[in-house]
Amino acid sequence: MILHTLNRSPTESRVYRQALAAMGPDDRLLLIEDGVQGALPSLVRHFGELEGRLFALREDLEARGLAGRCAAEVLVVDADGFVALTEEADKTVSWF
Amino acid sequence: MRYALLVQGGPYSHQAAHSALRFAEAAIARGHHLETVFFYHDGVYNAARLAAPPQDEPHLVDGFRSLHEAHGTQLKVCIAAGLRRGLLDEREAARHGKQGHSLEAPFELTGLGQLIDAGLSHDRLITFSP
Repeated sequence: MILHTLNRSPTESRVYRQALAAMGPDDRLLLIEDGVQGALPSLVRHFGELEGRLFALREDLEARGLAGRCAAEVLVVDADGFVALTEEADKTVSWF
Repeated sequence: MRYALLVQGGPYSHQAAHSALRFAEAAIARGHHLETVFFYHDGVYNAARLAAPPQDEPHLVDGFRSLHEAHGTQLKVCIAAGLRRGLLDEREAARHGKQGHSLEAPFELTGLGQLIDAGLSHDRLITFSP
């Protein structure tokens, strides 16, 4: 299983499409930095089929005033959880 | 686990360096060994010896330096990216006929091969880009 990180909002960059195309069926996606915008209910549809495998970084949500505004299917993790995700994944791929 | 971080974003222009430092502290807090941080592209500016940000802002250069002091993390700067951007240690400054130097220990100028080596020899390599 590979952990993918994405630091761009779907409103700002189409790199999320490359990330999704590269993901295997068990891979996970963690939204960080400006990428956390993608966790909003109005944008989460871009990540369609990732239920249970879509994460967003709590500190970056809070820094943007978006804590508590995520779509229900997004799993929110903090920095400790980010590290845990990298432990569980064989490798981490960063999309930017 | 043995961790390495790759930082490719410059300080105070993108979040990459902040994200990397936050991850570093979290990884260490979970008992991992953060053995290497490699600075590449504009990330080399995180090694600028003369960085003097306002006192009420995070000092990113000191943040990385303290990783070395507290945990022995090696701080490796791509020499090709550094020289292009004016990041020279005393030896390179002398070699290129420059007065003064802009990079000092614990940051060290190394080749890109060290990044490849970090990818092979560490359990995890995490990239933070602009």
